[in-house]
Amino acid sequence: MKNTIIVVCLILVFILLYFLQVNFFNWFTIAGIMPNLFIIYVLFIGLFAGKRLGVPLGVLFGLLLDFFASQQIGASAIMLGVVGILAGILNKNFSKDSRITILLMTMGVTAIYEIGLYITNYFIMHYNIEIIAFLKILLIEILYHALLIIILYPIFQKVGYYIEESFRGKKILTRYF
Amino acid sequence: MYQKKTGIVGIIITIVILIILVIISNINLEKLSYIENVVSSIVMPIQNGLTYLKNKITGNTEFFDDITKLQQENDELKAKNAELEQNLREFEIIKSENTTLKEYLSLTEKYSDYETKAAYIISKDISNYSNVFVINVGEKDGIQANMTVISDKGLVGHVISVTSNTAKVQTIIDTASTVSAVISSSRDTIICKGTLEENKQNLLKASYIPTSANLVGGDKIETSGMGGIYPKGIVVGTIKEIQNTKNITNRYAYIEPAVDFDKVETVLVITNGTV
Repeated sequence: MKNTIIVVCLILVFILLYFLQVNFFNWFTIAGIMPNLFIIYVLFIGLFAGKRLGVPLGVLFGLLLDFFASQQIGASAIMLGVVGILAGILNKNFSKDSRITILLMTMGVTAIYEIGLYITNYFIMHYNIEIIAFLKILLIEILYHALLIIILYPIFQKVGYYIEESFRGKKILTRYF
Repeated sequence: MYQKKTGIVGIIITIVILIILVIISNINLEKLSYIENVVSSIVMPIQNGLTYLKNKITGNTEFFDDITKLQQENDELKAKNAELEQNLREFEIIKSENTTLKEYLSLTEKYSDYETKAAYIISKDISNYSNVFVINVGEKDGIQANMTVISDKGLVGHVISVTSNTAKVQTIIDTASTVSAVISSSRDTIICKGTLEENKQNLLKASYIPTSANLVGGDKIETSGMGGIYPKGIVVGTIKEIQNTKNITNRYAYIEPAVDFDKVETVLVITNGTV
């Protein structure tokens, strides 16, 4: 029951983040580049609730985003699913107690997500290849995500460990090593 | 306790850095010119004094006088050149006016023939790499995929998918978008694409420019009617910058769209637009 409520809350937070992304971060940009809150959000879910929740929620959120505004259905879904898988792998191998680790995880996952999406779009949508321009945008986005993580880390930890306790209970190992 | 305090301080500092970054990166530098004026009024007298002193010591004041003269001459020549370019442009426009006047007349009639459906933009793409938005009309309002979307200023894009109440529009500045267009003065055909390039994300990159084409900044660009989506004669924008390359076949230009995509809120979907 508790887990179901958490999942419903996570979906409600997604809707809140969507409006935040579309309305606030549309103009609160660094050099015209907005962050992608959903990468951070799915990474957070995958890290604390495990990939069993991270992957399906990532795919669901990606599909919703594709339906809402993307040019083709599926690309964001696949890539956010990948973020969920990566979060599960990172959770097994790294501690979440360090701000730096979370920071590096976010930066790496952002790069993988955006590069993956760009390649997918290149094949599906026939995007023009503009590697330097793409990398510049990516670097700014990564910087933006890093700043957001520094700000959001305390909330991440508190809410995250609450979710982790609820979903994984006795299976939690990494925090004690 | 100490760690908690430093943590909060760190977060506050990061928030401040983030806000400063957002402001600095989005600010219009022209608005800061008064600060520049204040700074220069303080610095310039000192700078002038130091330069004069240096010139006196090294005895090269005459050399700098020459440079000033040359600069003046250069400025005059630049002004003359700009004037000639302007004359050339006007000449080209007048020359082509005769041949296109009839066409423009028929286009005006054609525009009035279009049945349009007004729509509001209700959502924009969350990606930094594409430019798609959602409008509040859909299948119920007679909207179908591939219909052309315009605004009062010019071409916006085309419908890529529809639901019963909404439609997704791919704008012409999207990196996956391609528009076949013509230069209105010379009638040369070009291909306009969206670009990711820094500070040019709201511009179009025109390529496949014929080697014989005479490009002049400020020339109007309109749709050619080729490609099967956009009807002929809809204003796309104006030539902003021409980039000449070693090989003339590779030269390209940046087009400033007639529509300001940052501010556009209402659009018109051409529901009976046949190419």
